[in-house]
Amino acid sequence: MEKALTLNEMDNVATAIAPLEPGESVAVPVGKERIEVKIREPIPFGHKFAISDIVDGGVVVKYGHDIGAATSEIRAGQHVHVHNVKTLRGVYS
Amino acid sequence: MSGLQEFWGFPRPDGSVGVRNYVAVISAADAVNPVARRIASLVNGTVPIYTAYGRGMKGEDGKRHVRTRAGLGRNPNVAATLVVGLEPRSAQEVADLVAATGKPVEWIAVETIGGTHNATSEGARIALQMVITASRIRRVPASLSDLIVGVECGGSDGTSGIASNPATGQVADWLVEAGGTVILSERTEIIGGEEILARNAVSAKVADEIRAVVARTQEHARHHGIELTNLVPDNIEGGLSTQEEKALGAILKGGTTPLQEVVGSSQKPSKKGLVFMDAHAPGTENITALAGGGAQVILFSTGLGNPVACPIAPTIKVSGNPNTVVELRDNIDVDVSSIIRGEKSIAEAAELLYQEFLQVANGGMTRSEILGDEEVAISGYCHS
Repeated sequence: MEKALTLNEMDNVATAIAPLEPGESVAVPVGKERIEVKIREPIPFGHKFAISDIVDGGVVVKYGHDIGAATSEIRAGQHVHVHNVKTLRGVYS
Repeated sequence: MSGLQEFWGFPRPDGSVGVRNYVAVISAADAVNPVARRIASLVNGTVPIYTAYGRGMKGEDGKRHVRTRAGLGRNPNVAATLVVGLEPRSAQEVADLVAATGKPVEWIAVETIGGTHNATSEGARIALQMVITASRIRRVPASLSDLIVGVECGGSDGTSGIASNPATGQVADWLVEAGGTVILSERTEIIGGEEILARNAVSAKVADEIRAVVARTQEHARHHGIELTNLVPDNIEGGLSTQEEKALGAILKGGTTPLQEVVGSSQKPSKKGLVFMDAHAPGTENITALAGGGAQVILFSTGLGNPVACPIAPTIKVSGNPNTVVELRDNIDVDVSSIIRGEKSIAEAAELLYQEFLQVANGGMTRSEILGDEEVAISGYCHS
């Protein structure tokens, strides 16, 4: 069974479909290829991690579409969630 | 997809076909909800429909309330309707809209009938007769093109966009292919995915309408100083980080066929195929709006689990979260966690949902129908 999935070959994040631990090496299927990613922090089931480095302000891509912008530099294998990605479509008061 | 393209349903005078055969006791205003509940409790075969508000409502709020209450009575799953009002005018307003379908409908008003006891006994007598008549209607062969199916997601998590939503979308495609209608909805849940829907629209007009849904929702939030997001705490716990991420997963449940039309909350589609309903996103409000717009069945995709169902439109719960399908096994009708485990393709898992859908359309009960986890809510003005 796979430990993580990507949904489009443009994606720079993968979804963990098993809880992942730091130090673990995960072969992530991306299109027809596999990318080896070393997990840097605990990734809960259903959460995302970067499969390539994302610069501060860089777009996070899932389903082949932008899902937000990084609010800090994110290294491959790091957890990508509300602490380091923000919406590009929000309306804030 | 395999299997039959037909189901057996209850024929209605307007040519529509129900998958259920309820007598609805609809309260026209919250002040008389207890009377409507009491009548329904005295007469087996009836379903009470009641919700907060309904009295003295203004503008679009008032229109939506009347349209939704009447829409639930007009739904093909309802054989006959008794409207319970506080006063005659509001009761008759709902009853007249239901009567346009040709189905039996009557109304009573507590103020003019002599109070609670008289309303209850007279209402129960009317409902009893309606159940006798309704119970003699037999199922007849019908076509899937007679069905309007609402798709909804609730308690979304990281598995929703990978498993249960795409599986639901596959079923949506099969239903449209069979000539049916599928309603995608939840206005805040398309923000970030609206361009995909617009590109998929049958015309520039429909594309503009879908963009306008998002523009209105965002403008409303700005005007009221509301922080607009579709993310709720369990979505974040489940791994969803932004509203566009949730939207891109959410729109998958509508499938891939061209978007034919945009309709308002509780408004019946005039087209077959994929339709978008501009209605509030939270689960109970949305399934009420879908059924108010004529949906006979609702496919409810869930990650972390949400038990709620519509009392007149059987609501099938499908989940791809391997934990939810075990922990909430009482509530989940269809398990598509095989997609996550890599054991089944989306199409293979969708086949399980499609077969369950056919069972339910033919009278098989959903878990929420058996559990009674059914609720009605009509949205207020705010665009959530």
